[in-house]
Amino acid sequence: MIGDGNGNKMRVKNLNMYYGDFKALEDISLNFPSQHITALIGPSGCGKSTLVRCLNRMNDLIEGSHMEGEITLDDENINKSSYDVISLRRRVGMVFQRPNPFPKSIYENVAYGPRLGGIKDKEKLDFIVEDSLKKSALWDEVKKILKESGQKLSGGQQQRLCIARVMAVKPEVILFDEPCSAIDPISTQKIEDLMAELKKNFTMVIVTHNMQQAARVSDYTAFMLVQEQGEPGRIIEFGDTNTMFTNPSDKRTENYITGRFG
Amino acid sequence: MARERYIKLLLMACASLSFLAILLIFIFILRESMPALTKVGFGNLFTSTDWNPDKGSFGILAFLNGTILTTLGGLIIGAPLGVGTAIFLDQVAPKKMATVIRRGIELLAGIPSVVIGWFGLIILVPFIARITNSSGYGIAAASVVLAVMVLPTITALSVETLRSLPIELKEASLAMGATRWQSIRTVLLPAAREGILVAVILGMGRAIGETMAVQMVIGNSRQFTLSLFKPTATLTSRLVTDMGEAPPGVFRSSLFAMALVLLIFAMLLIFSVRMITRKRKA
Amino acid sequence: MKAGRADRIATIVFWSIGLVSMAILAFIILEIFGRGLVTAVSPSFFAGQPATNQAGGGVGPMIVSSLYLAALTMLISLPVSIGAAIYMAEYAREGKFNNFIRFCLDSLATLPSIVFGIFGLTLFVVTFKWSYCLLAGAFTLALLNLPILLRGAEESIKQVPQTYREASMSLGANRWITIKKVVLPSAMPGVITGTVLPIGRIMGEAAAVIYTTGLFIRAIPLSPFDPAAPLAGYIWYAQTEATVPDYRQIVNGGAAILLILVFLINFSARRFARFYAKRKQLEVKL
Repeated sequence: MIGDGNGNKMRVKNLNMYYGDFKALEDISLNFPSQHITALIGPSGCGKSTLVRCLNRMNDLIEGSHMEGEITLDDENINKSSYDVISLRRRVGMVFQRPNPFPKSIYENVAYGPRLGGIKDKEKLDFIVEDSLKKSALWDEVKKILKESGQKLSGGQQQRLCIARVMAVKPEVILFDEPCSAIDPISTQKIEDLMAELKKNFTMVIVTHNMQQAARVSDYTAFMLVQEQGEPGRIIEFGDTNTMFTNPSDKRTENYITGRFG
Repeated sequence: MARERYIKLLLMACASLSFLAILLIFIFILRESMPALTKVGFGNLFTSTDWNPDKGSFGILAFLNGTILTTLGGLIIGAPLGVGTAIFLDQVAPKKMATVIRRGIELLAGIPSVVIGWFGLIILVPFIARITNSSGYGIAAASVVLAVMVLPTITALSVETLRSLPIELKEASLAMGATRWQSIRTVLLPAAREGILVAVILGMGRAIGETMAVQMVIGNSRQFTLSLFKPTATLTSRLVTDMGEAPPGVFRSSLFAMALVLLIFAMLLIFSVRMITRKRKA
Repeated sequence: MKAGRADRIATIVFWSIGLVSMAILAFIILEIFGRGLVTAVSPSFFAGQPATNQAGGGVGPMIVSSLYLAALTMLISLPVSIGAAIYMAEYAREGKFNNFIRFCLDSLATLPSIVFGIFGLTLFVVTFKWSYCLLAGAFTLALLNLPILLRGAEESIKQVPQTYREASMSLGANRWITIKKVVLPSAMPGVITGTVLPIGRIMGEAAAVIYTTGLFIRAIPLSPFDPAAPLAGYIWYAQTEATVPDYRQIVNGGAAILLILVFLINFSARRFARFYAKRKQLEVKL
């Protein structure tokens, strides 16, 4: 399989995921190579968002959900109750479908994570805020209005603010859960450029329903599908993005990317 | 992590306080009413209309009767008015006007019951006295006062129910060519039936428990009557006036027995509300 | 066109019902202010001492009692009900315990206030031997208002978008920090309206206070263990006992003052919540 061997930031092995009695994911095995972007694609309801939420255990928030199998971060299994979820989430950051800045100032939004980490020093915080906003390519637009509410920004700016907020925690992996589905094309372009830039330092996973986007930004792509309604989501094909889009090995993948369903 | 667990426990204790409160209230009131229940006897207490503490008669039927009749009277006037106002607000009134009226209803809910009672005493009682050639005090006056007091409760809860109905429901009916009234009558009201019933029951709770306003206009006499225009009393009105004068003993204890009846009424009402809402969910 | 005619009649009926409701409100307010406003605004009345058997008494200590009692009640019930609301909204899982607590809250909310009054009398005044005092009244009213305060706070907490919680947790915050730093600040305007509005109810409550704080005083209460006579209770007492010749005037004036107090509180609660929301640039529906 792709990325077998070294250089995998995260691995998923034989993962089953349940909401109560309902099995949402079945037998997922997947690698996320370091400093690359992996895209998860598939029709809506195929479990791609569920899968990405397994990676930082956000599904823990949902009552009655549980996982079987192994998910490793730097070769350590994170799917065990003894694993410190808080530190996991600080290492594996997340950008959500809809921009969700807190009803606080731009500055406070970015400083939220570092403050949680116990940083109180004003100069240090100032530095982190500026640095994170620069990394998310928002600094020039907001440097004069740091005290204003993050919710006053445009949708695209809000999403970049959320990326800055994640940057400030200095994560190693960033998960993007359909980050551009609620924003305009120009902002989408900016965020895609940003992802390409961030690839130097971070391992990224992006869930998207937009195949062009997956083709543009990702190095690897996994195609997921629910065969029949009520069945769990499975991975149909996983491979190098170029190969997947030009020469898929599974008929169902081909049907999906050529637009026959979904 | 340990700290979060303590905080969670503390918060849970806060939530459990409601249980502790209701338990304490129940225990205290039951304990205090024991002498009356044992010495006067269950039967005498609830079937006798003779309330004469000085002579050792402790029958509360007259007041039970007063509570039931005034509550019914209040609902007969107040419920149609409240539900009607709710429909008016949700379906008929122009938006701006609906906002003004909703504010007004909230204001009405905020008027203290002694103020409404005083209003009833100086305006309503003389008015009833004039047109019926009676003292003016009695079940009729109390019913009107209670109607005013249940109006905000019933209106607010009914509006909430009507608002929670899916807009498609109304549109579907109108799209079939129904007039507004037809769509209210055949689609909205049936769909909102349980919610409106709950609103009326909770209004009933308010009417049963209302004390000061009723005490001021009912005459507060100890006689049993079915007449609308003769002075009588309710459980609450008798309770509030006699409590100050009752010495410890059977007299005082029988007042607690009245409170026990009120408490049981309240629990029964909540129980029936629960049954209704559970059925709706199922 | 039978349906058309029925519709027109129904429209007229609903308009009349709506207007009657408003007319009742207007009538009550105008009557109360018409009879009492002149007395209410005279300093010798609102700041004066009450008289025991001659005319010309005021209600100064009663107003102080009402305000004192309201403050004391909030002091006791706010922390508890916000704590309970956080538990119900953020921690409690749907299930038997949750359901049971709701049943208790609903029952408390439906219990007549006179029942709270005589409970307070038995527990605080008699069993604890506090005799009639502000604290006994405050504890009684705190119980009475618990369900209302809790519901108000809980609803505002629940209105905070789930995405805020997710964002905070995904940055490595635990549940309590998320609540403290993100959920509560966003819920604050609603919590304020939800908790300040019941102050109006505390001010207007008579049945639960007359047997806990007392009915009549001449001196302004200072300590929480002093007896007091909140205005609403005193209005009732003045008209029932009619010990002073000008009791009608006193009740008229007292009722007007009570209405002004209650309206003022409701109004400022809304104002404050709106101001707070604006400062936080939040959208709240009031």
